[in-house]
Amino acid sequence: MTLYREGFRSAAWWATAAIGGIVLALILNGELEQGTADWFTYLYLVWMGAWTAIGLFVWAVRPYLRLTGPLWAWSGILHLNDNFVYATPESKFLVTEALLLLGLGVVVFIHWALAYPSGRLYSRLAVPYLALGYVGGTLLNIPYLLSSPTSYFYSSDLSWDIPTITTFNRVLVIVWFAPLLLIGMGLYAHRLLTVSPAARRSVAPLMIAALIQAPAWFYAAASDLWGTDLVWSLEQDAVVFVSFVAFGVIGLSGIFFVKRAHGNVGDLVVELNHVEPGHVREALARAVGDPTLDVGLWLPERQEWVGEQGEPLALPSGRGRHATFIGDRLAVIVHEEDLLDQPALLEAAGSAARLALENARLQAELRAQLVELRESRARIVRAGDDERRRLERDLHDGAQQRLLALGMGLQMLHAHVDPSARELLAESENELQHALRELRDLAHGIHPAALTDNGLADAVRTLAQRAPVPITVEIDERTGRLPQHVETAAYFVVAEALANIAKYADAHEASITVFRNNGNAHIEIRDNGKGGADPDHGTGLKGLADRVGALDGALTIDSPPSGGTRIVAEIPCAS
Amino acid sequence: MSCSVLIVDDHSSFRRFARRLLERSGFVVVGEAADGAGALAESRRLAPEIVLLDVLLPDVSGIEVARRLGRESEPPTVVLTSSRSADEFGVALEKADARGFIPKSDLSGAALCQLLAP
Repeated sequence: MTLYREGFRSAAWWATAAIGGIVLALILNGELEQGTADWFTYLYLVWMGAWTAIGLFVWAVRPYLRLTGPLWAWSGILHLNDNFVYATPESKFLVTEALLLLGLGVVVFIHWALAYPSGRLYSRLAVPYLALGYVGGTLLNIPYLLSSPTSYFYSSDLSWDIPTITTFNRVLVIVWFAPLLLIGMGLYAHRLLTVSPAARRSVAPLMIAALIQAPAWFYAAASDLWGTDLVWSLEQDAVVFVSFVAFGVIGLSGIFFVKRAHGNVGDLVVELNHVEPGHVREALARAVGDPTLDVGLWLPERQEWVGEQGEPLALPSGRGRHATFIGDRLAVIVHEEDLLDQPALLEAAGSAARLALENARLQAELRAQLVELRESRARIVRAGDDERRRLERDLHDGAQQRLLALGMGLQMLHAHVDPSARELLAESENELQHALRELRDLAHGIHPAALTDNGLADAVRTLAQRAPVPITVEIDERTGRLPQHVETAAYFVVAEALANIAKYADAHEASITVFRNNGNAHIEIRDNGKGGADPDHGTGLKGLADRVGALDGALTIDSPPSGGTRIVAEIPCAS
Repeated sequence: MSCSVLIVDDHSSFRRFARRLLERSGFVVVGEAADGAGALAESRRLAPEIVLLDVLLPDVSGIEVARRLGRESEPPTVVLTSSRSADEFGVALEKADARGFIPKSDLSGAALCQLLAP
């Protein structure tokens, strides 16, 4: 794995490990002044060594957590390093560097805690805050450097006496350490409140522990106000020691336990076996612990990412969200940026979901094609209707008008022809009337012009009037005008049903009901005839079913051989 | 009988022949209109006694024009006509605010007179 190799080979890692080892060895080797090294101090030193080792371990195996590992290790080393303040006077270098870096361990530790677990700072305010911490922490050590006789920078002119240094310590705690802790706690509390759901699980324990323990730290430091020298009391050390042990345990579990809490990749594999199509997203969201997760699938022919239901999906561009691609233009997982802390989890979940996603992609593609097909089917029906309307109009405006004018011309000729020609003229007029009637019927069969103008209700009532059996018509007044293609389809359904009644049903009466139901036009024709109508035989009913189906509607024909026929068309009115 | 008539139809050939046909039968054709809006305007301007009105006009339906003419202060007598048969319009014609309907193929002075007879 590239991630691990990168961590171990890093020169910075080896340098840190070496420095940590040297510092610990020097301390244990008796570089401390005699008398300060009691059993507790050793315990503390051992834990700080362990703390540093944990940091190095995390750095090595979780290099993608960026600064978390380095900060972890260096906070331990710097804490150890503080002990060289008490080094033997011969170790001038150690004392000088320890005085220079005194207290920076705390700032590094705060930095670690603020950036835990991803190694990234979550608040913009944290940057100036930490900068101030590092710079201020260093500058405030100058008086110690100048006043310590073992320091390289000792200056007899500028050095402060012990009482002054003690006062300086007290002032430092009030104006420096207390605000540093308070602001840090504020930033932490803010993060705890605003942390994303995916990250809350991993950071919340540490944050709560830190918020509880920071006052204890403050107490430990504030004890200096009553202390008389630079040596921390046993209680102070105990507080910091216990804190560090707690942080170590919680911090480690936060990084390694989180993986288990989030990473139900095993469960995911099992779940994907029987996941409903279109629900891969939910399974993945559960597996990686990010409820806001989105899944996108690539549709090659549309050249765009779509969700599982075929809806377009925009890839994130701003901060906070991140897109992880699976395969070569197969799928994309859009998730919270915090999940980047666990690329292995994402990779594993993505691999597990790959087959299901490929499946989902095909489904989405199919669904998109179905939508396309349905739309084109409706377009064809509408185009057909439009074409018929145009044809009827052309017949009406063209041939029919000319024949009508011709008829009127012939009529006017009556007065001008001699009686012998009148018979011929009458015959011609008769022929013309026939031609006109045939043309009219033809045009009407192509498209009922009155339907467009006067609406479905009138057209249906007109059809009922012309039927050979008595027909009860019930049209809900609230139906109003429907979209043109719906009215046309409904009209043809009624016309065909009535034609069948007249031709085959042998019925005594029939009824037509039209109403609007939840955005659907409901058209129902019943008769008390002999039944047995079969849409599969004879193209009339089949053609109607196709026409209604093309508009996303449904045509139901219930015609038992025992008698009676009921035809119901449900056509959506949304255009 | 010398009633004044306004002919409303969107086909000029029909208007031309109908005018000649009716004038021969003694009607006075005072004007023509090609659509519903024109029909309403000309009717108001010319105050004809009869409006011969096509049922299917390009802008509004003849049924609607008849309804609006009926609301005028001195409404003209409306006679609907169409190249389609009365069957096609069915109930819409029955409800229409008009004296009657004459299919275009049956239009003659006599047919109009018969319809207008009290």
